[in-house]
Amino acid sequence: MPLGGNGLKGAPGVRRNEPNSGMRLMIVLTAVSIVLFTFGARESSGGGVFTTIRGAVSVVTTPVRYLGAAVTAPFQGLGNIFSNLTANQETLSDLKAENEKLQAENSKLQESQKTAERLENLLALQSTYNLTSVAARVISGPTDSWSQSVTIDKGTTSGLAVGMAVTDSNGVLGQITECGATSATVRLITDENSGVSCMIQSTRAQGMLKGSADGSLSLTLVSVDQTVKVGDNVVTSGLGGVYPKGLPVGKVTSVSKTNGGLYYDIDVQPLASTSTTEEVLVITSLSEDQKASSEDISSADAQDTTTSASSASSDSSADSSASIGQ
Amino acid sequence: MQVNDSNRRRRSIGRLGLVCLVLQLALAPNIGIADGRINFALVFSAYVALTIGGRTGVLCGFLGGLAFDLCTTGPFGLMTLLLTVGSFVLGMEDRNRIAEDLSGSITIFLIVSFIVTLLYHLAMFLVGQASSFYDVFVLRTLPTFALTAIAFLPFAFVGSHGSGAPLSSLKGGAGSVRRRSGKFDLGNL
Repeated sequence: MPLGGNGLKGAPGVRRNEPNSGMRLMIVLTAVSIVLFTFGARESSGGGVFTTIRGAVSVVTTPVRYLGAAVTAPFQGLGNIFSNLTANQETLSDLKAENEKLQAENSKLQESQKTAERLENLLALQSTYNLTSVAARVISGPTDSWSQSVTIDKGTTSGLAVGMAVTDSNGVLGQITECGATSATVRLITDENSGVSCMIQSTRAQGMLKGSADGSLSLTLVSVDQTVKVGDNVVTSGLGGVYPKGLPVGKVTSVSKTNGGLYYDIDVQPLASTSTTEEVLVITSLSEDQKASSEDISSADAQDTTTSASSASSDSSADSSASIGQ
Repeated sequence: MQVNDSNRRRRSIGRLGLVCLVLQLALAPNIGIADGRINFALVFSAYVALTIGGRTGVLCGFLGGLAFDLCTTGPFGLMTLLLTVGSFVLGMEDRNRIAEDLSGSITIFLIVSFIVTLLYHLAMFLVGQASSFYDVFVLRTLPTFALTAIAFLPFAFVGSHGSGAPLSSLKGGAGSVRRRSGKFDLGNL
């Protein structure tokens, strides 16, 4: 048997006799809650009683919050996984938009950096070879399938003219074949109709670099009595007065010769990026030391003479053999 | 014969309230699914209402809601109102339901908890705290309800089985002597 009025609580059989024991209190507290809610809603955002009370509670309970944060810190990674998995759509959309924006900016910056690097390389080339040149930007590729050419954004108004050599930061790119007021067409060295007087850098063996329909380069007219190896650098010889002497053109990738042939079959890999170049230098004039000297011309003539002599000797040998055979 | 010890009961409720307050401040902010957070004020109010009920339950619901409103940034008095009414509903039978009918207690807790959570977030939605009902319901209401329900389970389990239940001294109330073995239950006398 419970004693005391309060003791009735928890004795179900007895409490059923007081069905409204909490009703009045509930009504009163509900009214109080509504009043609190109303005053709370009417309170300006700048501050007020409730804001002050909340601030005080926040200050008092801060140590507990710190404690909780410290205790749960090791598990925050797990919580972040769940948070990320369940992030609301608005957050995801914002993050996606921000990510796209950052990616775009990143691409832009990377592009700027690469452009700067290319221009620096062009400047380095210009400085190294002491070139008198005009920088231009490639604005389009070949306009038809029959030629390998690019169009640059400078023309006669910038001092360009037909026949001028064009190079990128890696090496010779081609030669201007058409020149308008504000644009020019550059025939690439890989074009079938292109020909550049070149030489093997190490042995000074002279030859003619020719393009082809498939875009490959071959160095022709190099006599078999010259020494050419795979990996040799091919540079311009300066003969013809179009390209400055010594500009890099490519590397020898294969060397072969046929029985009885007078010249090597030499394949060359171009150094210039003929399909991806964006900035170029147009060489507007050559200094005297960039042109082929009389010695170079004599040397080229000597090679040609030697080749002719060899050819004559070979021919006579062949004729003799033929005679013997007959 | 058992003498009622109202001071002991108050102390037990106070301890439970303190535990829930600490959990609300320390644990709830750090455990969440989506935007949902555990509502330990609801757990406290529901536990008291289901174990004691009546006026004490209503009062604890009011105080629990008040503490919740003070600790959060939501509209002041909203959770106070909801927990006051919710505690009254949970404690209407005015008996220790957790000890006598655990599954039934949990069921009614889940119902009331869901309604309270939904109403709270709906009110937040109506006062312009959110712009999408989908967000309110899926990303706030359901996670909060689920987490609170999970948080309530240990309390309910301990309250129904453990001898060290927070309000074990109140089970059956004064005048009732209840054996945990279930062999003797004088509470219904």
